[in-house]
Amino acid sequence: MTVLLAAVVLFGLVLVFAGLLGVAKEKLKVDEDPRIGEITEVLPSANCGGCGYAGCADFAKAVVEGKAECDGCPVGGAKTAEEVAKILGVEVVKTAPIRPVIHCGAKNHEKLGRVPYEGVETCTEAHIIGVTQACTYGCLGFADCVAACNFDALRMEDGLPIVDYAKCTGCGACAKACPRDIIENIPFKQERMLVVACSNKEPVKLVKQACTVGCLGCGLCQRLFDDLFEVKSNLARLDYEKYTGEEDLNPLFKKCPTEVFVYFGTPKPQRAKQLAKEAEAVAASN
Amino acid sequence: MSFGTMITIFLGVALVNNLVFSGFLGICPFLGVSRKVDMAFGMGCAVTFVITVSGIVTWLIVHGVLTPIGNAIGYAEALYFLKYVAFIMVIASMVQLVEMYLKKFFPALYTAFGVFLPLITTNCAILGTCLYIDMKPETQHLLNAAIYAFGGGIGFLVAITIMAGIREHIRFSDVPKCFQGAGITLLVAAILALAFTGFTGIGK
Repeated sequence: MTVLLAAVVLFGLVLVFAGLLGVAKEKLKVDEDPRIGEITEVLPSANCGGCGYAGCADFAKAVVEGKAECDGCPVGGAKTAEEVAKILGVEVVKTAPIRPVIHCGAKNHEKLGRVPYEGVETCTEAHIIGVTQACTYGCLGFADCVAACNFDALRMEDGLPIVDYAKCTGCGACAKACPRDIIENIPFKQERMLVVACSNKEPVKLVKQACTVGCLGCGLCQRLFDDLFEVKSNLARLDYEKYTGEEDLNPLFKKCPTEVFVYFGTPKPQRAKQLAKEAEAVAASN
Repeated sequence: MSFGTMITIFLGVALVNNLVFSGFLGICPFLGVSRKVDMAFGMGCAVTFVITVSGIVTWLIVHGVLTPIGNAIGYAEALYFLKYVAFIMVIASMVQLVEMYLKKFFPALYTAFGVFLPLITTNCAILGTCLYIDMKPETQHLLNAAIYAFGGGIGFLVAITIMAGIREHIRFSDVPKCFQGAGITLLVAAILALAFTGFTGIGK
């Protein structure tokens, strides 16, 4: 008797509350733009934050509200941008994918003044201590960037991170992880992009004490290609807005006193000077 | 049933018998969501709202449904074993309501809460308060029960906000290595609980 009554009472209560919640659900319905859901579907759902928003759903909302561009997702790239644009019914402007390059080209044997380091083996710690090597701007080689990469696109080789551009999505996590800010995200207009592989802002003497391949800040590149290069605080910079990757820069590689220019991209980073020499040798033998 | 009794009940549950510090209820959100003051305050407000509504509704269920039906079959407490399951259902429904309401009117707060809002469903402070209301002789009146529930929520709000304020400072303090993280948090909670015993005697 009591059991039956209990069941009936509880069932009655459940009905009351179910009705209440049902009414509330109708009354408090949130009118969400259906496109937000559709765009979230086509996004990679990595929730990496590479776009600058707190996850894919947030980015989708920003796109629909017009706060973000269709191609704002660095991970999805051109394909996702197209799909997003299709949902919104707009045309997507073709842009080059953003990929990281490393502004340091010193392999282990080229870094001078290295001392044995027995602290915590992360770049952040080593950077604070600051005595592991002579160069206070260059790569420390403890692979914070490799640890930060969610896409398994980075590996350490001879004291330098190597980007696997086939796997890289350009989310920018490595650039944020680097305590020395030597990783820069640039628009990859070509398969290969030229990079000034040095971040050292010290004058010539100190650079030569710290590294055998550092930028001396001589300004030759700026004199040869004034529109492309700018030498500021003893360091050459390449203007990626003007650089298309198609210029003939061979005279530059012949003149540059160090091997600071490196081609990044597929298949593998290579010193521009060596490449220029090889090309010359091939041309001579023909 | 006077204004004085109401104040006694409110202060008694908010300060003297604070849910967190003397009842050891609701410790999980108290430690989990007390990293930032604004988040902690929001959590405290949500808990206060849910606790007040649940307190009133559970009182109504006990005094308006279970007891009369029990009386009808001759024994007032015949259906009291249904209290627990009915209370949990009430709390879960109220949390759902709050969630819908927040999603509609305060989307920022809704995203800030994230997983913690559904977690209120299993917050022992709320179920505990509903059961306390049922046990105490002074909350046999609906208004007193409502004040008791609201006071409990305010007590939780005060506790979690104080805790968050302290933890924001601790983040930049030189804490000994062995106490870092959960250790110093629990120590602070213990000292706060000690401090709250200073309220004993208020309202007598």
